[in-house]
Amino acid sequence: MAPLLEPNAGFKFDNAKRNQLLSDKGYMVPTATKTGTTIVGLIYKDGVVLGADTRATNGSIVADKNCRKIHYLAPNMYCCGAGTAADTDFTTSMISSQLALHSLNTGRDARVVTAMTMLKQYLFRYQGHIGAALVLGGYDVMGPHLFTIYPHGSTDKLPYVTMGSGSLAAMSVFESSWRPELSREEAVEMVKDAIEAGIFNDLGSGSNVDVCIITKDNVEYIRGYSQPNERVPKEQSYRFAPGTTEFIATAPAATANDAAAMDVS
Amino acid sequence: MSIMQYNGSAVVAMTGKNCVAIAADKRLGQRALTVDMGFDKVFPMTNRLYVGLAGLATDVKTLHDRFRMHVNLYKHREERTIAPKTFAHMVSHMLYERRFGPYFVEPVIAGLDDNQQPFICNMDLIGCPNFPNDFVVCGTADENLFGMCESLWEPDLGPEELFETISQALLNAVDRDAMSGWGAIVHILTPDGVITRELKGRMD
Amino acid sequence: MAKICDSIGMVYSGMGPDFRVLVNSARKAAQKYIQTYMEDPPVRILVKELAGIMQEFTQSGGVRPFGVSLLLAGVDERGPNLYQVDPSGSYFPWKATAIGKNMINSKTFLEKRFNGDMELEDAVHTAILTLKEGIEGQMTEESIDIGIINTISAAESGEAKPIFKRLTKTEIKDYLSNIV
Repeated sequence: MAPLLEPNAGFKFDNAKRNQLLSDKGYMVPTATKTGTTIVGLIYKDGVVLGADTRATNGSIVADKNCRKIHYLAPNMYCCGAGTAADTDFTTSMISSQLALHSLNTGRDARVVTAMTMLKQYLFRYQGHIGAALVLGGYDVMGPHLFTIYPHGSTDKLPYVTMGSGSLAAMSVFESSWRPELSREEAVEMVKDAIEAGIFNDLGSGSNVDVCIITKDNVEYIRGYSQPNERVPKEQSYRFAPGTTEFIATAPAATANDAAAMDVS
Repeated sequence: MSIMQYNGSAVVAMTGKNCVAIAADKRLGQRALTVDMGFDKVFPMTNRLYVGLAGLATDVKTLHDRFRMHVNLYKHREERTIAPKTFAHMVSHMLYERRFGPYFVEPVIAGLDDNQQPFICNMDLIGCPNFPNDFVVCGTADENLFGMCESLWEPDLGPEELFETISQALLNAVDRDAMSGWGAIVHILTPDGVITRELKGRMD
Repeated sequence: MAKICDSIGMVYSGMGPDFRVLVNSARKAAQKYIQTYMEDPPVRILVKELAGIMQEFTQSGGVRPFGVSLLLAGVDERGPNLYQVDPSGSYFPWKATAIGKNMINSKTFLEKRFNGDMELEDAVHTAILTLKEGIEGQMTEESIDIGIINTISAAESGEAKPIFKRLTKTEIKDYLSNIV
């Protein structure tokens, strides 16, 4: 049984030596999916609004047209992720786990600074090798909070922030129109405009606008708040007549691990 | 050249109406040299769940073994078969564990859930999952496959229509990719069972 | 009484500090499961995990067995589940049960009062009546704890999700006032 009981904490490096050898022999190590991304956040009168586009890219290929970049951290906290898609996914889910244990142990909702500190310490420990650039927003006993966290572990605390490859486009919207004490409607519209600036002017960002509004005791997560790039219906159908594809054999279904049998081949 | 191009591969999965299809080419090469014309890249995990692995062949084999082990362990532990979505998260977790020393494999997962609804999913080599509702592709012919699928796929195809669509998408994609092809295999998962067919393809 | 994860809660009878150690292990095990499969653990899986730990402490050197019996309640794919775990590491599924000083009388009481298709309100009511049998003196909202598992729709997906919740003092007071 011993070989099955692998340690489960942390990363594994058992392939690293082989991979290094391959890379030394001139085989390029492939790239992971990135979220080119426009993500933003701003503080308004009653809370925080987070926004994100929904495009994931693999080089110049659009890998996912409707991906989810606003991640759950805690009931009162959400986090937008830009950079290496897997890193943002797993970093936020791991911190979310730690926050759940933390608030179970303390019997309170975790504070946003706690999440921010956990994230920055984690990212700093990996010296930028975990490529997660985050916009963290939440509401706790101290009120609304908004932070940006960079892959190397530095953080900013600002009333309006943007991140990702579309951050310049989005910031142009905020810089020209943000003011303190925005109403909820104004805030959400401004976030939408900022993300759309990224969607239309940055190649790494695209598709829809996701929005998350966090107030004192409520979270509203709206997938596809704005859908400026809806696909037009196809004008023609390319259905093939049955029998078009020539096949050699109808093979019996390969042994599957069904209710009775287990694949132990 | 990237290590993902060393052996050559093309894997695609598509959703239909209460059915889902997964298909892959059969070539195994060493760069430009074709070694095997019957190399499986799609494996059954349960009778409602298949996984396709594109990338470095040695890792395809290794991961297939590891997935099977974990699916069997899950079944023993939980006394139930693993659901496609659960399996996808497990795979994603296994790949991300090796964030800094990855397997050179991009998995495609296709299955029917408890309500006979189609489930498809693909990941990059470090386990970033992607759950679209139309189709997923990967391998050396991925760009070709994207093009084919974007134009051929339409919603609510029945099992036989889905077979034609996925087969044509795959065959025409690999014809423009030197690294993959040499026949293909298609599995259509339906509530009544799995239909498995071997396609005739160009052998050049 | 402790919440383990959204869908599972746990109570004990015995030594408080031992219970807290097990709560920590249970919460960590639950989070590990969630991290791997992105879904809450089935109750039985968590029960097995805890039973395993408790069994290990019956035959390890330098440690003593846990001085607690546990009741784990949770909702999963199979529906509502209730399990009892003993210090030996043995565990049992129940429809309704009691542990502790007055368990024999309480179980006899439950055998008469329990039926499978009770609504939540009735179940809470029956639980209170069962507790009342064994409590000396006045039963107040200060002296009892009640946890329920309800389904609510999640903010993000809108899917129905079981949520464990400890009743507040005022909620318990309301239930108690309906009894006398």
